[in-house]
Amino acid sequence: MHVGLEQYLTVSFLLFALGLLGVIMRRNLLVIYMSLELMLNAANLALVSFSRFNDNLNGQILVFFIITVAAAEVSVGLALIVALYRRRQSAHVEDLTTMKL
Amino acid sequence: MNASLMTLEICVMALGTVLMLADFWLPDERKKFAGYAAVAALTGLLVISFSGCGACSLGGSAFNGMFVQDGLAIFFKRFFIVAAILVLFMAVEFSDRIAGGVSEYYSLIVFALSGMLFAASANDFTMLFVAIELITITFYILTSFQRGRLVSLEAGVKYLILGALSSSFMVFGIALVWGTTGKLNFNELAAVAAQFETSKIFLFGVLFILVGLGFKIAAFPFQIWAPDVYQGAPTPTTAFLAVGSKAAGFVLLLRVLFTAVPTVTAHWMNLLIVISAITILYGNLCALPQRNLKRLLGYSSIAHAGYLLLGVAALSASGQSALLYYLAGYLFTVIAAFTVICLVTRHLDNDDVSALAGLNQRSPLLASTMTLAMASLAGIPPLAGFFGKFLLLKAVLEQGAVNPGYYCLAFTALAGVVISFYYYFGVIRAIYWSKNVVDVSPIQLSGPIKVAVCICIAGMFWLGIFPTTALDMANEAAKVFGK
Repeated sequence: MHVGLEQYLTVSFLLFALGLLGVIMRRNLLVIYMSLELMLNAANLALVSFSRFNDNLNGQILVFFIITVAAAEVSVGLALIVALYRRRQSAHVEDLTTMKL
Repeated sequence: MNASLMTLEICVMALGTVLMLADFWLPDERKKFAGYAAVAALTGLLVISFSGCGACSLGGSAFNGMFVQDGLAIFFKRFFIVAAILVLFMAVEFSDRIAGGVSEYYSLIVFALSGMLFAASANDFTMLFVAIELITITFYILTSFQRGRLVSLEAGVKYLILGALSSSFMVFGIALVWGTTGKLNFNELAAVAAQFETSKIFLFGVLFILVGLGFKIAAFPFQIWAPDVYQGAPTPTTAFLAVGSKAAGFVLLLRVLFTAVPTVTAHWMNLLIVISAITILYGNLCALPQRNLKRLLGYSSIAHAGYLLLGVAALSASGQSALLYYLAGYLFTVIAAFTVICLVTRHLDNDDVSALAGLNQRSPLLASTMTLAMASLAGIPPLAGFFGKFLLLKAVLEQGAVNPGYYCLAFTALAGVVISFYYYFGVIRAIYWSKNVVDVSPIQLSGPIKVAVCICIAGMFWLGIFPTTALDMANEAAKVFGK
């Protein structure tokens, strides 16, 4: 079977949808954060496959930017989640209820 | 390549690095001066940008058209620098409530500023993404800077999760738009966008990019984060978030909608009208029962995102220049309000409206500043907020002949303004007519913060009474989209 742009894009859409589902359904902050990375990587996959099939390298350059920014985001994000865990002894979204109306 | 156009950004980056390094060598009691040094340096840059010499007033583009220096970029760069200066004044007053790394706090504000400056000049999706992430990631840290307070950490985590979610939508949108058209540059994209109007993948891409930008400006339905983050974040961060981050979202929104995909924007007129109307109503109605001042201003900032979207939805040059003018007034008004909150709640744990009780006896200057800020947000003449709202409504009504939906939109906006009187005057009532005043000790104000407060008051009156100068600048900036 020939694997073309469509198949790659389907996988990318699926990954994105799975990530979104994870963000909505899961209750643990770390798992939510992993799902968010999955969504970013779905976008990377789409960019790389478009780049390969359209013979245009701009997309791959953008992927490098995305990977770099995602790394910065993860380092800040994990530090934040760890800081919150130290104060609360929990990494569950149900416990983030200090602020209400 | 013309890197000299970026002089302003490079200077701001260098200033941020110097401030961060200063943390190592400055003794603790001198760290306050790092903040004032940053204020002085930024004031110098602002003066240079107005003096007309140097690269700041040059037009042109650099990095293959990724970075443009045009009227709009220059307008927003001045705007962001003024905002950062006023926020830094506030941050110095706030420094005793930050446990460690005060100069780090100043330097992060300056780094966020550099992201905003890049955003003002972004003319390419790569630049847009990097600039927006530079702002957002810096704000994750700024929001959770009071690590000892649980609310601050919680606000940081909520901002982190929702911010990362919106940026993954944006990145996916960029991937789809680039995949279908093969263009990342806004001008090149505009040339080919009309051919792809029927492509579903392309339209989804544009929609996803708008999700990311809608999050930055806190427009409905991406506004959920705003009240919690506004409430939990340290007050100077909240002020910068309300002014700088929102304005950066708006400059990028304007560029994407009117430079990159103008043909799609024209089709989506109804969508913009509906989002603008719902944002206004949601923000104003939810602000009604709030008792926490910062949360109240959070909802009010959602409502103001809606008013600003009126200028976008009008799809006309007068709408765009009204938006720019309104943002300028919003800058002085909101920073004045947050400065007062920052000073009044110095020794308090919460920031309830009741903290303002008896403020007219404790400090008449702060009481009148808060009253003026609330009156300007509500849109009472002769303050900046009134004239801004007038211009926005005028721009919307001018378009009424094109689409009757604009009349409904103008009516909704007016209804929103009427609703907002209730809670803005609730704050003023708390200042002057509170029954149980517990604390009447006078509030001591330092010299620099008095200057900052006076600048804000002067700004509100100047924009409201003599709007010509600012309006000319806004018209000049909005010409970018007329070409």
